[in-house]
Amino acid sequence: MPRGHMHPISSLIREANQIFFRMGFALAEGPLLEDEWHNFDALNVPHDHPARDMQDTFFIKDRQGHVLRTHTSNVQIRYMEAQAKAGNPPPYRIIAAGKVFRNEATDMTHEAEFFQLEGLAVGEDVSLANLKGTIARFYHEIFKGADVEVRFRPSFFPFVEPGVEVDARIQGPHVPEKLNGKWIEMMGAGMVHPNVLTNAGVDPAKFQGFAFGMGLDRLAMLRWGIDDIRLMHSADLRFVNQF
Amino acid sequence: MKVSRNWLQNYFADPLPSAEKIADALTFHAFEIEGTERAGSDDVIDVKVTPNRGHDALSHRGIAKELSAILQLPMKPEVDPFAKKPDFSKKADAVSVTIEDAGLCRRYIAGHITGVTVGQSPDWLRQSLESIGQRSINNIVDATNLVMFDIGQPLHAFDAAKLGSLQIGVRHAREGERLDALDDKTYALTTAMLVITAGDVPVGIAGVKGGKPTGIDETTTDIILEAANFNGPTMRRTAAALKLSTDASQRFQQVLSPELAGYGMQQAVELITAIAGGEVRGFVDEYPNPAKPQRVSFSATQTSKLLGISVSPDDIKAALQRLDFAFEESRGAFSVDVPFERLDLTIPEDLIEEVGRLIGYEKIPAQELPASPKSPAPNENFAKAETIREQLLEKGYSEVYTSVFADKGEVAVLNKIDSVRPFLRSNLLDGLTEAVKKNIPHKDLLGLREVKLFEIGTVWKDGKEEVHVASVGEKEKPEERPLADIEAGSTGELPLSKAERYYPFSRYPSITRDIALWTPADTDKGDVRHTIVNTAGPLLVRIDFFDEFKKDDKISYAYRLVFQSPEKTLTDDEINGQMDEVYAAVKSKGWTVR
Repeated sequence: MPRGHMHPISSLIREANQIFFRMGFALAEGPLLEDEWHNFDALNVPHDHPARDMQDTFFIKDRQGHVLRTHTSNVQIRYMEAQAKAGNPPPYRIIAAGKVFRNEATDMTHEAEFFQLEGLAVGEDVSLANLKGTIARFYHEIFKGADVEVRFRPSFFPFVEPGVEVDARIQGPHVPEKLNGKWIEMMGAGMVHPNVLTNAGVDPAKFQGFAFGMGLDRLAMLRWGIDDIRLMHSADLRFVNQF
Repeated sequence: MKVSRNWLQNYFADPLPSAEKIADALTFHAFEIEGTERAGSDDVIDVKVTPNRGHDALSHRGIAKELSAILQLPMKPEVDPFAKKPDFSKKADAVSVTIEDAGLCRRYIAGHITGVTVGQSPDWLRQSLESIGQRSINNIVDATNLVMFDIGQPLHAFDAAKLGSLQIGVRHAREGERLDALDDKTYALTTAMLVITAGDVPVGIAGVKGGKPTGIDETTTDIILEAANFNGPTMRRTAAALKLSTDASQRFQQVLSPELAGYGMQQAVELITAIAGGEVRGFVDEYPNPAKPQRVSFSATQTSKLLGISVSPDDIKAALQRLDFAFEESRGAFSVDVPFERLDLTIPEDLIEEVGRLIGYEKIPAQELPASPKSPAPNENFAKAETIREQLLEKGYSEVYTSVFADKGEVAVLNKIDSVRPFLRSNLLDGLTEAVKKNIPHKDLLGLREVKLFEIGTVWKDGKEEVHVASVGEKEKPEERPLADIEAGSTGELPLSKAERYYPFSRYPSITRDIALWTPADTDKGDVRHTIVNTAGPLLVRIDFFDEFKKDDKISYAYRLVFQSPEKTLTDDEINGQMDEVYAAVKSKGWTVR
């Protein structure tokens, strides 16, 4: 009996976990059906934020204050809360991977459900320079030893300050042609907002850290030259069996 | 927001660099650029202002200020609309303003101007607005729009004569109230919306759109000019409910400083009297709780620690000066008086970001974290998932992810956009069974004997969320169980996908034909395959050998041929024709089709 085929997202999560494990990151997890505190409030997304409007987020019938998580960032809060409760102060280094949801129409590049990879490092002096170094190392390994440059552009996300948009330029023999040597927008990231640390029970006067969140579907599309995000969730073996 | 390079130039004595250089400067130090466009002798730059900067940067002045800091180009002090403090001490005796809820309208300034001449705008004004895609209407309306795009404060002008009463109010709309708006549509208002009233009659949807009957036209001589501050979330919800997003509502919903309204009124009155004449009779400035100035402190040490580079007090001083912030410094500690329009600057990290983006993020090196003091704790659930994943892969199952949305389940989604499958699944088997069926027609194409799928995914069952693992095969017994029941095996570094790249596949159905041949015992098997492939044509996408047996001095070989077109659904006739060529070719070799 020939071996079956692993879904490319599972392969990417497995590989990301191996790479980040070597950098000292543990894998953490959190629920998909989340309360608004962990998905929004604790992450410094105020009540009046547009993301909390009905059109962007899936709300749950007869369960007020619950949503399908819109990002994996809920895991940041859940992890830090649990550590604080257990009396374990930072340093913390975690990644989280899993499904997230946006209430939007789907097309070749948009899906209502997709996968995200989250990273969080908190310590006494974890800096923006460390964020750059960590991301560069990750892309270097996931693109099989390619040359990687990472650059930041100013951006804004309520749960980080400063917030940056991360571009990467990846060059190497195993890099798809469409990507090779070009600056590509990869993810949003930044330094964890002090309010987020406070909300999760970590003292922002003593600790600081970075967080990032990237779309795994998008990373898979870049890595293997996949042209339609909907294939990821199609359960179509004409797709899966290529991996 | 669309920004005109010529408009920006008004703010500077020295010539601005090219649109491309401006776009680059903003991209790497402030905002994403959606595009730049050449328009006559002007360039229009589309700036994607981040939500935290909607307070100040949805305006030419805000963008000019950014460029001044980034490019180190001084602004001409005399043209800054914020240089002179507004003065509303001259009272408009004929006018009154009443605000029902000062939480939703923090400030309302009414300016009363009489004897204006409504007409065409001067060329410079018309061109300024047209350069950013706005239509010129008349000198009064154009003046209010210019101020909005210049400093970000939305304004509105009413025809005072048509108002009926100069008793202006700001209140919630009442059930059943409607407004004929300037866009020639009638809007049904709800009690969640704010209206501007004259003698208690609605004359405008606050912060969104003015009313048609009280609009400015060529007969207008007296105007009431409105510069107000409305609550952001209320504006956003009103605009969404009415499906009426305007340049004004977009700015209010980002939250503006009530101070800005004063500068907006001052600038608009100066402009209107300059281009339309008239006499300023006075103002009513209803501003019960004036905004308090903000002061934020941070240090060079904090900045260096957060950014991960060494930033000296002098570096910070230079950055703050470039930003034109007033500050005090004492041994590396800075206290900054935040400009009123920069509502985004409230904590030390906000100012560290200002310094960091001006220094330039390219100066920040990629520095890996130091080796972790402790080895990361293994994740038990992930170990279980990886263990069962490997076991199922070894048994020939392939992995899929199906949707969490289902036709039935215990938990329902309140607002599914397409209303299709509004429940969260309570099991994996339903989705997997469907997926197996969907894949069966592709079995030959994929060279599979049997479709066997598994999924590791979340379900909502018995009042809780849990991860399940399920497997379904055409001939296998379906199985589903909680991941918690799996025993985790060893978690060394497991194999990864070896795929180099993905190849798009044809979405059209394939057609399968089997062929079995009697050949002499000494026939080369490779020759048989070769002969078939050579004559089966370009639509042959797969050939699988599946049977061989010997009888007397003959051997039978059997192959399965799969045909598929990248551009259409094939017909049996087309493939029969192709197979006839294959039959002819094998016969000419002296072989017999069974």
